[in-house]
Amino acid sequence: MIELKNIAVQFSGRDILKDISVMFNSGEIIGLVAPNGTGKSTLMNVIMNYINPNTGKVILNDELEYTNKKNEVKMHQLVSMMPDQSDLYNQISGKEHLKIYSSMWNSNPKLIDNTIQELGMASYIHKSTGTYSLGMRQRLCFAMQIVSDTQVMLMDEVMNGLDPTHVELISQILVKKKSEGKTIIVASHLLENLEKYADRIFFIKNGELILVNSISPGFEEREITIVRISEMTDKLKEEISKEFPETKVQSLSNGTTLLDVRGYDSGELGNILAFLKENQITEFSFGKVTLNDLYSMFYQEE
Amino acid sequence: MWAYFKFEFLQFISNRKNIAIYVILLFFSCDFALKIAPTYNPIERVDVSEIEARYLTREAFLNNVVIDEGTHYLSSFAVSIFQEWNEYEGERLEAIKQHNLKEYAEATSKWYTYADKLTFPNAMGVLYYNPGYYTFGNIYATMDGHYAYLYSASRYKAYTEGKSNLSVNVFEERTALQTLQRLLNSYLPLILIVSCILLTVDIVLKDRRNPTLLQGLPLSDWRKLIVKGLVSLLGSLISIIPLSVGLLIIGGRNGFGDFDLPVPIYSSGKDAFSNILMGEYLVQNMLFIVFWFLFIISLLLFVSVLLKNEFANLVVGFMFVIAEFIYFERGLGAVWNVQWYPTSYVQVGQIISGYRNFLYGSETLTFGSGILVMGLCTFIFLVFTFLISNQRKFKLL
Amino acid sequence: MWKMLRTFLILEKSNKKNIFACIIVALFVFGLVLFVKTEDLGNSVIEKSGEYQSLSSALNRFQNVDATDSGNGSDLYKNLVLQQQFVAKQRMALTMNLPELFLDTAIDLANLRAQSFDMEGFDDVAIYLPSKVENQLGSVFYQYMKETGILLTIDSLSFFQFLAYLFGVLGSVWFIFMCIYSCGIMIEEFQHTSLIKGYPIAFDKYVVAKCTSSMLIVGVFLLELFVCSLPLVYFKGLGNPSYPIAIFNGIFEAYPIYKYIGLSILYMISIAIFAILLSVILNVLLKNMYLTLFLELLLFIFPMLFPNMMNLVPYNPFNYLNFPNILNGQTLDLENPVILNSTYGLLYIWMSIAIMVIAVKLFLTTGKLKRV
Repeated sequence: MIELKNIAVQFSGRDILKDISVMFNSGEIIGLVAPNGTGKSTLMNVIMNYINPNTGKVILNDELEYTNKKNEVKMHQLVSMMPDQSDLYNQISGKEHLKIYSSMWNSNPKLIDNTIQELGMASYIHKSTGTYSLGMRQRLCFAMQIVSDTQVMLMDEVMNGLDPTHVELISQILVKKKSEGKTIIVASHLLENLEKYADRIFFIKNGELILVNSISPGFEEREITIVRISEMTDKLKEEISKEFPETKVQSLSNGTTLLDVRGYDSGELGNILAFLKENQITEFSFGKVTLNDLYSMFYQEE
Repeated sequence: MWAYFKFEFLQFISNRKNIAIYVILLFFSCDFALKIAPTYNPIERVDVSEIEARYLTREAFLNNVVIDEGTHYLSSFAVSIFQEWNEYEGERLEAIKQHNLKEYAEATSKWYTYADKLTFPNAMGVLYYNPGYYTFGNIYATMDGHYAYLYSASRYKAYTEGKSNLSVNVFEERTALQTLQRLLNSYLPLILIVSCILLTVDIVLKDRRNPTLLQGLPLSDWRKLIVKGLVSLLGSLISIIPLSVGLLIIGGRNGFGDFDLPVPIYSSGKDAFSNILMGEYLVQNMLFIVFWFLFIISLLLFVSVLLKNEFANLVVGFMFVIAEFIYFERGLGAVWNVQWYPTSYVQVGQIISGYRNFLYGSETLTFGSGILVMGLCTFIFLVFTFLISNQRKFKLL
Repeated sequence: MWKMLRTFLILEKSNKKNIFACIIVALFVFGLVLFVKTEDLGNSVIEKSGEYQSLSSALNRFQNVDATDSGNGSDLYKNLVLQQQFVAKQRMALTMNLPELFLDTAIDLANLRAQSFDMEGFDDVAIYLPSKVENQLGSVFYQYMKETGILLTIDSLSFFQFLAYLFGVLGSVWFIFMCIYSCGIMIEEFQHTSLIKGYPIAFDKYVVAKCTSSMLIVGVFLLELFVCSLPLVYFKGLGNPSYPIAIFNGIFEAYPIYKYIGLSILYMISIAIFAILLSVILNVLLKNMYLTLFLELLLFIFPMLFPNMMNLVPYNPFNYLNFPNILNGQTLDLENPVILNSTYGLLYIWMSIAIMVIAVKLFLTTGKLKRV
């Protein structure tokens, strides 16, 4: 497990991270969600000690800190970050990349072949990476980190450029790694996908780390909490407010309107359904708040 | 295409390596002008005391010698040659004392012609050229002296006929243009060619650092290469600017000379030397150097697309510059057929002045053959580059 | 660190640069063979006739007078006349194939010349004669031959003779070659920072591993020199590994070829390590391989541009990088002669290496690398 204590980072007087204290446990997948340029990568760079925070410290397993170079090496043995795909060595093969990572972290060499198998890379793994497509390179970078087999894994934009099949495949591997007791921190913009496997999801805003549960308490419950209507005129919204004064109506920046139906029984839900049908609204659904909704809600305010 | 040219040129000019090259050239040219050029000490000087000493000694000998049957044959030989020789010597002495430079030039030309006519066959084995040539280890001293004497004779003759302003600096080839001429005969072409190599070496391969930015440009690889080549050519020509700073400094100190000054050109005929004007000589050199730039650039473009490695570019480029050292041998040019190797033309100034022919003992290393060989090679490199860059599987980056 | 080294070997194996560098080294050897052949190096007959001519020119500066001991010529004049006689004798010995006579005369000639340096008016004729250092080297050489009874050979293309010449020539450009080879050593790595930064290894170990892998390649280059010269054994014979080479190393002495080659290899390995470490540091500081190269070359030629600096800072390692010149005693021929001792040179180079390693350990870390 890895703990951040009072981490603050400033770039030219601007607060990027403000007094962040958080604990990431073993066997946990953490999702980081934020628009570009709000400090996701900065946070990861701080965890890797690529950036020195202005204040605060990173503590690994209650004992290790970035206090000197020796410790940095020890911590890098346990914490890894996924490489950039533009940083691959074009002239050597994917297999050799995996070998390099495996030997650098002294991990089990069997992992190499297993990972190749799991990610379906066998057909091209012996070709030099210069010939790879974007998705192939991305998978290789992911495979490299898996092969390094570190306790904490940081992945920035792990699903970049992958087709849906591979997104699914990688998600499965992440879940498997979690069950092995790894701490996995993922930054991603594929919110639906992230929602599926992440145990905790954080938003970053104004330099602060905000747990999604705290802004939407019902987020993790398995019941109908919301009616999502994809298009609705302002006039209709007013009518709904009149008809169901108890119900909270919220419009999102992407045009969607949410009706808060938390705790409603089937009768009340039926009334709402009837009202929508009366007003010829066809595109709506019952369900719970998605991460997408929360994201729009949370970041539309400014 | 014009937009791409501007884009490339902007990159070229802001490349830290290229800026460094220009700065280093500027440093060397100032260093040369301020430190090295003033120490230039030609063997063939205008040295009144030397002329006077020689004149007086010989005059005394001629006045005192008595020729009869018992005279040593060398004494008779001396009498026979010193009379005419000292006539010229006397004229030289008189003219330089009066500061009559035209007459000095005329007499000096005759002096050199006469001296060489006697010294080169060296029938008696007692005549030598200026001792400056016989340094320790120089086994070609006689040839060097022969060349220098005839060269001087031709030069001074042209001073008499030409309308240039004469001065001692002109006689000793110290003016800016003459310094340039001397440099073109020594290592200036090498410096320019090496600069061209260094400026061109990464012009193609630098794009590998941001490939996605450039792959999509609506321009074929071949055209991109041509534009890159042109940028490189322009950049190489710009390297003349920092070098000319040194020339201005020398000009300010020793005068600039003018474009009508003669430059003797050697050819292995009866007359050995004929003169062309400085302007013509410089234009020919410039043209030749441009051909060298084209040669180097096309070579490096070719190597760039073939091997895609900057180190290989550097090494192949330098090999073409230094290859001649390996096979160069005085007097054996014809044996090796050196005129067919582009590398034989590295010493641009020496090719045009014919000195290279003199060294090789050949007649075939001329301006024309040089342009032909270099042009042909450039063409071949470009054709290969064209073929490679038009292959379907080829990727520039 | 072994794991890092293994990684580098995977990378070096696929690096085209190494292949080109190997080709260049091979071409250099073959080119030099050709050069030695065309220049007819070591042909004493030609050298001696040149010497004779130079002496004639020197004598030309004097009036022809009686040169016998009782004659009225100056001491220098008499000396030069005698020198010319000796050179003539040597030419005769060569044509008649009398190596021992040649040797004896050579020693006499060297002694004679040694006397001439202090004579009045020597400066006027200096350019026609070998310098003091050249003469002393020659003297040591012939003396050694005389003592050991080794016969003079002029076959400069036999294996060992050629190797000695090869190391002499290559030695003077070795630093330049190493600079060109290593100037991008870290820049190449900077293209892959997101991989490297996370490696669980400290930067100094990383650098050491990088240097070690590069040094292995340099070892291949050195081996290649021998391998490429091997055909000469077949064509020109093995030559004599104990044939002497006169060198200056604080004192004038003669080294047998094998010792000379050994010293050269030691020097070349030291210079290679020096150049690689320097490239590493300059790469990190300047972030541009050509600027690195230019700066290194400027530092290299600096002592040549300003020879007085050598006197001032004799412990500047750059004074010693052109080690064949040091061994030739060329620094003694400068306007302000300076005694540079090649053993101290090695020491200074190694001290610089140690300083650079410490600097890398103290000031550089992988974490701060930026992509360039």
